[in-house]
Amino acid sequence: MSSMKNGSATAGGGRRAAWWLGLAILVMGAVWLNGARSIASTTNYVGLGPSAIVLAVGLGLVLLGFLLIVQALKGQLAPPSEDEEEAPFSRPAFLMALAGVGVPLLTIRWLGFPFSAMLAFTLVTHAFGSRRTLLDLGIGALIASLAWLGFSRLGISLGPFFPLLG
Amino acid sequence: MDILNQLLGGFAVALQPMNLFWAFVGCGLGTAVGVLPGIGPALTIALLLPVTAQVNPASAFIMFAGILYGALYGGSTTSILLNTPGESGSVMTALEGNRMARRGRGAAALATAAIGSFVAGTIGTLALTFLAPAIAELAFVFGPEDYFALMILSFTSVAVVMGRSMVRGFAALFFGLALGTIGIDTQTGQTRMVFGTLELLDGIPFTVVLVSLFAIGETLYVASRSGAAPAAINPLSGGSWMTKQDWKRSWKPWLRGSVIGFPIGALPAGGTEIPTFLSYALERRLTPHPEEFGQGAIEGVAGPEAANNAAAAGILVPLLTLGLPSTATAAVLLAAFQNYGLQPGPLLFATNPDLLWGLIASLYIGNVILLILNLPLVGIWVRLLLIPRQYIYGGIVVFAMVGVWGLSTSWMDLALMCGLGLVGYVARVHDFPIAPTLIGLILGPQAEIQLRRALAVSQNDWSVLVGTPIAATLLGIAALVLIVPPLLARLRRRASAEEEPATSAGRAG
Repeated sequence: MSSMKNGSATAGGGRRAAWWLGLAILVMGAVWLNGARSIASTTNYVGLGPSAIVLAVGLGLVLLGFLLIVQALKGQLAPPSEDEEEAPFSRPAFLMALAGVGVPLLTIRWLGFPFSAMLAFTLVTHAFGSRRTLLDLGIGALIASLAWLGFSRLGISLGPFFPLLG
Repeated sequence: MDILNQLLGGFAVALQPMNLFWAFVGCGLGTAVGVLPGIGPALTIALLLPVTAQVNPASAFIMFAGILYGALYGGSTTSILLNTPGESGSVMTALEGNRMARRGRGAAALATAAIGSFVAGTIGTLALTFLAPAIAELAFVFGPEDYFALMILSFTSVAVVMGRSMVRGFAALFFGLALGTIGIDTQTGQTRMVFGTLELLDGIPFTVVLVSLFAIGETLYVASRSGAAPAAINPLSGGSWMTKQDWKRSWKPWLRGSVIGFPIGALPAGGTEIPTFLSYALERRLTPHPEEFGQGAIEGVAGPEAANNAAAAGILVPLLTLGLPSTATAAVLLAAFQNYGLQPGPLLFATNPDLLWGLIASLYIGNVILLILNLPLVGIWVRLLLIPRQYIYGGIVVFAMVGVWGLSTSWMDLALMCGLGLVGYVARVHDFPIAPTLIGLILGPQAEIQLRRALAVSQNDWSVLVGTPIAATLLGIAALVLIVPPLLARLRRRASAEEEPATSAGRAG
């Protein structure tokens, strides 16, 4: 809670009934219920076995998902937040930022932390509308290298600087 | 006397040059993240968690305490000067504080906020000093069923208080509880919900969840809605400092804010926002200058600022004495303790007095450091806001990667960061609170252990859960927390429906 800013405004989409969110939680609950079934409970342990809590959590999620769907279908909206008019949603910006967060998944094993972080940094700055690619790449490289060096000196391993060089 | 001796011992720890250095680092970092939007104390401490492997526990917690308090000082600065609260606890400060700044009383508003924070922070720390050992003493008699009941109370109150609706609060809580079941069951060694992957055997690291939900979710959210022009950055000129009149109008709200803030912060779902609302409402009612409220009344800055700092001290009471986190920041601090293999609670006062008392003593010192850092140097902190937004969020993502990749250089953790980042984004868009998820994740496994322990001792007799007066009372309160708010809402709705015709005429006067 403490770093959700500005009383966490409701986005335009938030007021629309989001039945699919309830469905997602319901499905998650079903996965947990199914998981509880497959946990062997043949232990000599006195009291609750290891599957009980999984079962309880699964039941809870199914119930809550169901309630959320019902609320959504009844058109019951989250109480609107009074403050802040929302800026419109921008799909390209969102996808660009998501690409920034996701690109290390593809690159970190080959290019290592500093280069992956540089790419992530640049993609995120571009999601915010920056178009000075070279400058952003430079700043990203600087921040990422400094972080790599600094944290390595603190004893936190961020992997090899550039794995392709071995 | 014993407490004073131990506190002196704590000061001996906290005043070591190395620890003073960490206190400075913490206070500086805390103020910076308080000023910057998008990062809060919880996230900052989470990103620094890997550091705990290298620094001794006392130094690390002294730094974390500085971050916790510093964020509140920094948050008030941006609320007042820019009307953009850096922290949720300083939303109320912005109401009057920004008005004061626009009328050229910015310096006075900053001063009353900083001094009020100092006064309340010190009072809160004093209360913590004398209260915490007593509560820890009490907690020695807690059995597993009592701890279980306490955690149930914590769950219900967090889910009810934090969210805009109960269903959303509980959905967030159960999401966290579900994540908490992943990994090897500590009591039987069975694997649970690992979906056949080796990487999940140790469970999902708390840091990954926190960093993803907060930092990544927030970045995706702000980026996708960055089309609108960012808030105008025009740090307003200071104007005159606090006058005698200002002092006279400030000191009572400081004290009242402290008195409101500390106990509420110490409740299982206290947090720092609710006390600021209450303090604001109270000052508005008590002020001899009601006409100034909404126009920049100094009481409206002094009270809430004091309240949120006192509440921050209050939050440490259940955390240190019972191991019970009540906010996201407290949950991260608990994770930090666990990183050292320490479990906050009554035993910790006996086994690690140096660490605990050093931490408490550092709170006094931190308050002094923060007063020094914030009163004369406020102009420097405001400069931080001149950093373009894309670089702030780009930097947040890089440091989120440091926090996640630095844990164990695991690709799986990075993948989880992406996935949970999307979850955080959806939660942000659809108004699901995040704190219940974190508290469910960190307390869920502990609640399970206590429950199973209680049932094992009682040979599966479920009545043991209400078998002690403490457990029965706590569960009773938890039930009330669940039942009362909807009941009140229904009563209010019915009352207003019945009164509607009558009052439309009657309320005019």
